Amino acid sequence: MSLRRKLLFTLALTAFLSVAAVAWIISALVRRSFEHNNEERTVALVEQFRRDFARQGEDVARRIGTIASGDASTRMALSLSHASPDYGAFLNEARAIAENQQLDFLEFVDGQGTILSSAQWPAKFGYKDTQAIRATSKDAFLKREELPDGAALGVFAIRQVNVGDRLLFVLGGRRLDRDFLLRLEPPPGMRTMLYQNLESGFSPTLLINSSGLMQHADPVAPLIRQVQQRTREITALVHWSSNTADDESVDAIPLTGLDHELLGILLVGDSRRPYVESRRQIRTAALLGSAVGVALAILLSGWAATRVTRPVEQLAQAARQVAKGDWNTQVTVTSADELGDLAESFNRMTTELLQQKEQLVQSERVAAWRELARRLAHELKNPLFPLQLTVENLLRARQQSPEQFEEIFRESSSTLLAEIANLKTIISRFSEFSRMPQPQFQRVQLNEVLESVSRLFQAQLRTPDRAAIECRLELAEGMPPIAADPELLHRAFSNLVLNAMDAMPQGGTLTFRTRHEGEWAVLEVADTGTGLTPEECERLFTPYYTNKAHGTGLGLAIVQSIISDHGGRISVRSEAGSGATFVIELPGNTDKLPADQVAAATS
Amino acid sequence: MKHRGFPLLVTVSLVLAVVAGAATRPHYGGTLHVGLRTAPTSLDPNRAESVASENLFHLIFDTLVTLDDQGRPLPALATAWQAESGSQRWQFSLRREITFPDGTPLTPEVVVTSLRAANPTWKVFATNDAVVIERDSPEPDLPPELALPRNNIVKREGGKIAGTGPFVITQWDPGRKLVLAARDDYWGGRPFLDAIEVELGKNFREQMVSFDLGKAQVIEVAPEQARRVATGGERIETSPPIELLALVFNHDPQSVADSKQRDALSLSIDRRLLNSVVMQDGGEPAGNLLPNWMTGYGFLFPVDPNLTRAQQERAEVPETTAWNLGFDANDPIERVLAERIVLNARDAGLRLQLATGPSDVRLVRVPLTSLDAQIALTELTASLGLPQVKIKGNSVDDLYTAESALLKSQRVIPLLHLRTAGAVSKTVRNWSRARDGAWRLPDVWLAAERP
Amino acid sequence: MSRSPTLISTGTMPDHHPNPVYNARIQEIRLPRAYSFRARCLLLLIVSATLVSATDWRAPDAQLARKIAAATGPGAVALEVTNRSSLSQADVDDIRRGLWTELAALGVHSAAADQAAATVEVSLSENLRNYVWIAEIHVGNSEPSVAMLTTPRTQQPPTGERPLAPLTIHKALLWTDDNRILDVALPTGSPQIMIVLGPENAVLYAAQNSHWQVEQTLTITHAHPWPRDLRGRLLLRKDHLFDAYLPGVLCQTTTVAPLALNCRESDDPWPLATDPSALSAFFTPSRNFFTGALSPSVQKQTAVAPFYSSAPLPRDKYTLWIFSGVDGQIHMLDGMTDQTSTKWGWGSDITSVRSGCGLGWQVLATSRGDGAGDTVQAFEIADREPAALSAPLEFGGSITALWADSENASAIAVAQDSETGQYEASRLSVTCNR
Repeated sequence: MSLRRKLLFTLALTAFLSVAAVAWIISALVRRSFEHNNEERTVALVEQFRRDFARQGEDVARRIGTIASGDASTRMALSLSHASPDYGAFLNEARAIAENQQLDFLEFVDGQGTILSSAQWPAKFGYKDTQAIRATSKDAFLKREELPDGAALGVFAIRQVNVGDRLLFVLGGRRLDRDFLLRLEPPPGMRTMLYQNLESGFSPTLLINSSGLMQHADPVAPLIRQVQQRTREITALVHWSSNTADDESVDAIPLTGLDHELLGILLVGDSRRPYVESRRQIRTAALLGSAVGVALAILLSGWAATRVTRPVEQLAQAARQVAKGDWNTQVTVTSADELGDLAESFNRMTTELLQQKEQLVQSERVAAWRELARRLAHELKNPLFPLQLTVENLLRARQQSPEQFEEIFRESSSTLLAEIANLKTIISRFSEFSRMPQPQFQRVQLNEVLESVSRLFQAQLRTPDRAAIECRLELAEGMPPIAADPELLHRAFSNLVLNAMDAMPQGGTLTFRTRHEGEWAVLEVADTGTGLTPEECERLFTPYYTNKAHGTGLGLAIVQSIISDHGGRISVRSEAGSGATFVIELPGNTDKLPADQVAAATS
Repeated sequence: MKHRGFPLLVTVSLVLAVVAGAATRPHYGGTLHVGLRTAPTSLDPNRAESVASENLFHLIFDTLVTLDDQGRPLPALATAWQAESGSQRWQFSLRREITFPDGTPLTPEVVVTSLRAANPTWKVFATNDAVVIERDSPEPDLPPELALPRNNIVKREGGKIAGTGPFVITQWDPGRKLVLAARDDYWGGRPFLDAIEVELGKNFREQMVSFDLGKAQVIEVAPEQARRVATGGERIETSPPIELLALVFNHDPQSVADSKQRDALSLSIDRRLLNSVVMQDGGEPAGNLLPNWMTGYGFLFPVDPNLTRAQQERAEVPETTAWNLGFDANDPIERVLAERIVLNARDAGLRLQLATGPSDVRLVRVPLTSLDAQIALTELTASLGLPQVKIKGNSVDDLYTAESALLKSQRVIPLLHLRTAGAVSKTVRNWSRARDGAWRLPDVWLAAERP
Repeated sequence: MSRSPTLISTGTMPDHHPNPVYNARIQEIRLPRAYSFRARCLLLLIVSATLVSATDWRAPDAQLARKIAAATGPGAVALEVTNRSSLSQADVDDIRRGLWTELAALGVHSAAADQAAATVEVSLSENLRNYVWIAEIHVGNSEPSVAMLTTPRTQQPPTGERPLAPLTIHKALLWTDDNRILDVALPTGSPQIMIVLGPENAVLYAAQNSHWQVEQTLTITHAHPWPRDLRGRLLLRKDHLFDAYLPGVLCQTTTVAPLALNCRESDDPWPLATDPSALSAFFTPSRNFFTGALSPSVQKQTAVAPFYSSAPLPRDKYTLWIFSGVDGQIHMLDGMTDQTSTKWGWGSDITSVRSGCGLGWQVLATSRGDGAGDTVQAFEIADREPAALSAPLEFGGSITALWADSENASAIAVAQDSETGQYEASRLSVTCNR
């Protein structure tokens, strides 16, 4: 990971973590505040409900009082003195009065509990409602009222009318229904629901809110069951849907009747939506903050890069160039800080390295020239000494034995010619080395080249005038063809064979091995000769270096030159006394093939 | 001396004369505005919804025969009739020179076409000036049957209908409004009124509002409202009890238990209270289908509840079936009636529940369509969807036997016979109803102003 | 339902013929001179009603007794008779006595309920056409059985005449008919005859043995249907028997035997009075009122508002004509002025009669009575204000015709009984209260 990335990552992480921490703290604070607020609001609403309930009860009681003191009640009470009351006369009376007084329930009941007129169930005249007249309270109370299509809950009040010895009860009330809930007017975000406990167990059809029957009542069922079992106030979080914004904190308040029986459950729901939404807003803000922080971090790191990492990168780049051999590389010094010092040091270092390198090259060149001069002198001295001896021999023969001169002249001239030829050979080899041609790439099967070389040398290896050398081929099958110049390769391999023959005067085994490693073809030429010392290994490929008594020292240099021209590598591994192995690695070089050979090469 | 006794008398008489008002001859002219609850989409008497529109048919159409207030046939479009082959073949002579509003004459062929349409099973054909009707079996009651609304003589041409009645249709807005004009050449004499405008599909309340505003002079009043409206000073005309209120089961009893439950239900219902309280004396308790004034034997059928016996019958049933009681949810009084029946049934241990959808037993109101008791019973059973009633002979005991058998089948529990009531403006004169409650509007005339 | 009694016996007075026939009263083709079937029935009925003061219940008593005895057998029976019909208590007592007589003859005798072998509840009921007598017979603990019979309902006798008044209007019932009576005339002479004008015919009755017998029916022919509230007037003539004025139609009897009635379409004015001032007025052919055009005139006044009826009151030098207008106003024409009034409470029908009492002529005017029917009251006009001279004479229904006779000596009033729907024609005469 680059320094710039590290810097970027560190800065972004720092920014994100700080924003997240702040968001979490705010969220926790909001939650605590909301819950506190919620508790207060619920308590307030419950209080308000109790007050509203009481107020509505008072209103009902007042209206019942008005009805009880009205003419209709007196008339009805008077009619009780007849043997059988005229129900017909009063059939619609209760309903009309109830409508007038905006009551949902109204019944006129005589002292024995017989209904004279009923607003909610007109057909019930003549039937008994004894439960009703047991209530003696002046206050309103909650009562379950049987209706033709089921039962209902209501806030009731009862008044007694006495005309003479006749007793009439006026019992009426308002239904606990959606209208009742509408009148409660909860603060925004809160709502009321009413469960009418008219059946045992939970029935979704008995749960209403201010807009009527609740469509989706199941989530609240467990809470209602709990209240049904315990008959006490319980608060719970109700999940109405998978969306947490729909969650509601619901306070269930049991409503009981005269006999403390559970008649209804008032559910005060406080929506968690504001909390969830503010939490969501905080989260969004935090995310936004983080994003901004990360973006800032990127900008900052960009700036830091200009200021810090770019010189470092330039240094690194320069170092890489130096490593590649570009000793002239220099770094621009842009600042006067530590990085500036570092750049200056680097520049100084490369300058010194270059100077040292040039010195080294010059000294190597001097050494090479010396070596060449030595080798040339040595090579030339060798034929010159016989030449000198032969010429001196001729001169002596002319002087001392002119009779024999002719014969000596013939012998000496042939020796002279041989030595001159030898000189020419030496000179041509030097000349050849200097004229090493550029390789002509074509598709080549390395194995075939090796086989050809081995065939060529087969006779020389087996000549009777010297100890036999066994040539062994361990060639890998399926070697991919490579692009190379077969002539040059042939020459290089021939040089290696000659070199090996020189290394095995007492005979031995010469082994060719091939294998391929990816794009690369690898060739090993191993002999079982005397081996090389590490020092010899180092200098082996230096031109004109030889450890042999005769030879130009150019053989292996030519090999290295050819391999290098193919983009390949040559190395030697050896231990003294156990032979040497030359390892040649050649690239596929398919890009160097002429276009018409590419397909054939890759196919 | 001659004048000595007069002055006191003069004073008294003047007062009397002012109070009493004038006995005026009928005035011709004027438009009578009528409100009706029914909202027929067709005026064709052959349509199923025709029963409620009967009062309109009298204005537009004639029947061959009409019934007098004692249910005896009187000539209308037929002037004479004769039965042959033991009352199996009847010949009706047509009144002459009767025309339809478009001037075309009433021919026997028109009558034949009309009667065939109304009675597909009859063999009806025309002779010279008469119409012959042949039935499969002797039918002594054919003339009263021809007085039924569906047997009004209708000429149907190109989707239009025409009758020979005292009025002709001048405007017809189906289900909403009907305007009729008097026919000068009506064979029974031109009606006094020039026109009648009938507002259709108005409920009792809307009709009463129209009446109070003077926009309608004749309206229907719910029977249970009649007493109250009358005490308010309005002129209320009521018919004899002519509408049957009954509980009708969808099918015959399926088992002994079913039968006993039906018995218990009938015994549990307090019909007198239904009538006196819920219907405000707008009818009479009924133990049978036809009203007592029509048969004379209605009192034989008990109407009082017997809760003890009802509970006994109920106790013999191991497990009661819960019945859905159907009723017209749009009619508030039917709801109260149904609720009361449910309460009564509950006293006997029966389980009934109100239902506006499919039901096992329905609360129905069916008007009588004929003053002939036998025809009335036959039509009533058909309206209630009961099996065809078989009346052996023509006597009152045959009728009694048939009706008893019908009630024993336990398909129907009669509850009340209800009157129909109408409020009639004081400017409407010579108002009368037939015994079956039908209005006689052609005889009505309008006083110029309120007296 | 389970308690509805079983019917054990059937029996009834036959209600219909095996092959019933109905012929309309208006016999247009086949029986041009036949008597009206229904009028004949009615006449017989009235005759029988006058002959028998109380109905004879013996036959139905005997029939019901036989049915009861067949169910109970001879022995002690507790019998209870309940009246559920319009029968009077006298009739009910009569029936009860008759039943016991018949039962006794069949071996059934009366006993208290606790000692009787059977109890019988007889209900005297009625339906639209008949009395329905029903016996519910309880023998032992078995289901009660029911015996039934029907007997036709008798016509209610006409309501009696009203009491006299100081200046008394006498009402003599002349004729009752199911169909409309337009006018009645009683020509003087012997034998006494009566002409009853109806919508379709004029029927001549002759008095025989103190009863009216149909002498001849003269059919009225008319091309157009009659209007509703049909009116017609009979005027006796010297050269022929009578003229009958009907809306758009004038019928005259032949002057030579045999007596026939010739009707023709006519817009001739109807005579309002023959004497002393012959005045006629044009009648609307398709309605029920006079157009108001007078012929010839009341001195200079040739027209008045459309009216229903008129009454002349001869004065010394002129005749005061009173018209009851269609608009509800009373018009008084004296030849010079047309004075109107609406406050007198008079009905549409007025006429005048010469009684000789008071000013000599009195107006008879209809008005609405306290009960169901109209009344007729006698008035004099003094100082252009009416003064009632008699108590209102009540009728059982609305008055449909009030015409003075040809001599203005008396008036003919026709009223439709509000209960029976029958038309009753009466002769009204005014006598002085001395």
